[in-house]
Amino acid sequence: MCTRDVLRLFATFALVTALAGSAAAQAPPSDEPEGGQAAPAGTRQAALEQEQAAKVPNLTPYKPNKVEAYFERFDAVLAGGTPRWHPFFESAYSGGGFTLGVGKISYLGAYNYIDVRGSYTITGYKRAEAEFVAPRLFNRRGHFSLLGGWRDATQVGFYGIGADTSVDDRSNYRFKQPYGSALLTVFPTRRFLMLRGGVEYSRWNQEPGEGSSPSVETIYTPATLPGLGSEVTYLHTQGTIGLDGRTSPGYSRRGAFLGATLHDYNDRDSAFGFQMAEYEGIAHLPILRETWVLSFRARVQTAFDKDDQQTPFFMLPALGGGSSLRGYSSWRFRDKNSLLLSAEWRIMVNRYLDMAFFYDAGKVAARTSDLDFDGLKDDYGFGLRFHGPFATPLRVELAHSRESSIRFIFSAGPSF
Amino acid sequence: MSISISSRRTRRAVALILSIGAVSLFTTGAGTQGPRFYPDDPISREPESQDASKAAPYEQSQMYELMFNLFVTSGYKPSGLRAKNINTIDEVPDSSWFTNRIGSKPVTADEITKGPVIGAAPDPSKWVLIREKTSGAHPGFTATDAKGETWFLEFDPPKFPEGATGAVAIATKIFWALGYNQVESFLTTFDTKNVTIDPKATVRRPNGKRTRFTHDDMNVILEGVHRNPDGSYRVIAGRLLPGKVLGGYQYAGTRSDDPNDLVPHQHRRELRALRVFGAWTNLTDLKAANSIDTLITENGKTIVKHYLQDVGSTFGMCNDFHEWDLSYEYFYEGPPSRKRFFTLGFGLSPWQTVDYVEYPSVGKFEGKVFDPRKWRPQTPTTAYMEMRDDDAFWAARRIAAFTDDLIRAAVHTGEFSDPKAEQYLADVLIQRREKIKSVYLTAVNPIVNPALDSKGLTFENVAVSGGVAQDAVSYRASWMTFDNATGATKPLSETQSSTTTIPAPAGLPSSGFVAVDIAADSAAYPTWKQPVRAFFRSEGGSWKLVGLERMPDKPEANARAGQKPSK
Repeated sequence: MCTRDVLRLFATFALVTALAGSAAAQAPPSDEPEGGQAAPAGTRQAALEQEQAAKVPNLTPYKPNKVEAYFERFDAVLAGGTPRWHPFFESAYSGGGFTLGVGKISYLGAYNYIDVRGSYTITGYKRAEAEFVAPRLFNRRGHFSLLGGWRDATQVGFYGIGADTSVDDRSNYRFKQPYGSALLTVFPTRRFLMLRGGVEYSRWNQEPGEGSSPSVETIYTPATLPGLGSEVTYLHTQGTIGLDGRTSPGYSRRGAFLGATLHDYNDRDSAFGFQMAEYEGIAHLPILRETWVLSFRARVQTAFDKDDQQTPFFMLPALGGGSSLRGYSSWRFRDKNSLLLSAEWRIMVNRYLDMAFFYDAGKVAARTSDLDFDGLKDDYGFGLRFHGPFATPLRVELAHSRESSIRFIFSAGPSF
Repeated sequence: MSISISSRRTRRAVALILSIGAVSLFTTGAGTQGPRFYPDDPISREPESQDASKAAPYEQSQMYELMFNLFVTSGYKPSGLRAKNINTIDEVPDSSWFTNRIGSKPVTADEITKGPVIGAAPDPSKWVLIREKTSGAHPGFTATDAKGETWFLEFDPPKFPEGATGAVAIATKIFWALGYNQVESFLTTFDTKNVTIDPKATVRRPNGKRTRFTHDDMNVILEGVHRNPDGSYRVIAGRLLPGKVLGGYQYAGTRSDDPNDLVPHQHRRELRALRVFGAWTNLTDLKAANSIDTLITENGKTIVKHYLQDVGSTFGMCNDFHEWDLSYEYFYEGPPSRKRFFTLGFGLSPWQTVDYVEYPSVGKFEGKVFDPRKWRPQTPTTAYMEMRDDDAFWAARRIAAFTDDLIRAAVHTGEFSDPKAEQYLADVLIQRREKIKSVYLTAVNPIVNPALDSKGLTFENVAVSGGVAQDAVSYRASWMTFDNATGATKPLSETQSSTTTIPAPAGLPSSGFVAVDIAADSAAYPTWKQPVRAFFRSEGGSWKLVGLERMPDKPEANARAGQKPSK
């Protein structure tokens, strides 16, 4: 019996005992409240007043228990605050495995803040960065981010270039990258139309890979694999135009998104400069009051060499991993062009949990004209998504493909 | 001496016995030695005799309450105990919680239209914003009007023009008539041309600091609400409550800092009855934050007054996102979740197929599929779980007292621009009223208003008079003398009738107390065989009703009474 139960029993016992001691003398009936005067003895009112008087010596202020006190912090966040310390599950690079990390937010003003964060994966991927965020520019139409950091991906998979590579041909490479970027997102009409522009300065140091697979330089040479062993410094600029009619990019049961992004990677040494175009469309179609949602995504990425420069192998469009072809390893397919098609049948279990069956198909190709529906690599699977009205903090999926009987996917974001 | 109570069953039994003892506070005498009835029974007002000025503000964590109610309270096993704040004739006395209005005395359409309003309406020719809105999900401000009075302003979401504001306007009238303390609310306008911002006004920022309230802060709110074609905004203005705000009341336990708060809130009938009133009006958001305690001084005494503050989540109003299951399921419920999981969503729940005639000012509100027993708030409260059929019967009588005209008068205060929406909302309320009557007026023995005089015993079968049941084949009365000091009864005889007048037996004493068990024989309603026991006291040559017990404490039998469907 817990202390609270004991106290409750004693309190109730005292109440009954006190009642038993109250007088039972007869007095004229009275239905009227007594105002400031005590009720005549032997009346119901007197008995009640006696009990109220008996409580006076035992009055105590409300004391929240420890759990409730903890939840009060959540309330503060919901009321508009932001937690100073937060988990950070983004690894240095896709394919790093289970990731743990933490960040700390420090406010520089009412809304602007700096988030210093870092993460580490079971395969030794490391990421450390600081981001300045100004979320309310241009009368709340703009969002600005200034990011600087360093990351180390120790064993990124490389299976060769093209769609016909074998999973057995995996080799690993490592890269270390210091980076600094600025990204400005503007919603001129507050909703639907989205414009984004950014600039990044970074250096990609490609090194021999770790892990059980052979390192990439043991199989390829710089002549057969552009960018192998290189140290490339990019000035990367990008621009996006998008139409976003979803409830939220983090979780939506209806609406659509269309976007096009152009990237320019300018190599300081004019050896590995290239451009890339990315087109993406997403649609969520609710059925029967959002009991089910049919969600579709199509994405095309195309890289263009600049003049006589080459696109390094580690910057080629790629497929594979928890956010593209989920039944395949991260970075499983690489080439100049990629096509990704995903369809999901999402089923609402309750307000906080969706389940989904998904099917992904995609291919990479050397030429844009080869991005057709022939020879698509596909997978299918099942997943659970724990979500709120606007975000998906946890996505757990099982995916199957011809190359993997089962792949487990844990993600702190939506599939699309 | 040490006392060890090891068995869970034993602990529960002891707690139950002691709790039953505590029931005697309002309905029976002082333990085993006192009389069953005091001279002033039945009391019409619950006293607040002690100074409560030491009661301190506290706002319970909303997230904690949400989680606790979803995952703990939802599994709460009802005690089966009678409500503890009822008087000896099974009624709720007036108190700082509740005032008997409709169902206890005549209420006119004019009174309903006025509702809780005492003072003048706000003067919208000038608004000075002094703070952000501090409670409720719908966007709004705290502002002073041209007369300098403080108001809480709430707007309509873009998808529900006139909806949120109309819901508050109407629901405050209905819940006032039902007996709850309500905030004085007025529909008025908010025009930015008439708005200034108090230089001292602040707003809490994400960095945790309060800084000056700006026009941009105002615009953040206004961009997310419905705007009238002329650029103004329709708002519902709630008058600042008098006294010191203490925070919301909880639906279980008592305030440890209020000496007058003796009855655990889950055993207050008016709080249990919110399960029925909530079902009628679709008041889905029953969290503590939508109530408010204030410290006020009345008759020279400082007491805590309890308000059902925010009744805006009524009718079809919701927060827009993914709320189709509202009023059919808690925010989380295991069984329907499992059903959808294992059937891939094909195991449909009623909310997935129910037809709505959706008016923007009304939302998802209907009366055809509505089942009062299956209605769900967003999260259960302990009082909600404790509701028994006699509590529901009490509530249903009050709802039944709303005539069609009174309902239409209340709905008219929503000032909907679409007369069809107004008519639809009233029609649905009438439809839901009838369903509640059918379910709850018939679930227990529906005999009310027993009176004893020289002609015999007369009473009313409120299920029959309410038009939701056929009359009983016969009524039986088992007469007893009653010793008020000892509680002992001595059988006299039994009489019966096919009408609601039963002759008194020969040899009925002319003084003291008599008790009579009144049962009804109805093949359609076997529960009517459970007699209502009435107690009469001889006063000046006539008999006065001093006691009425519709359902005794039956912890085991009634343990799930509030949940299982009855006939």
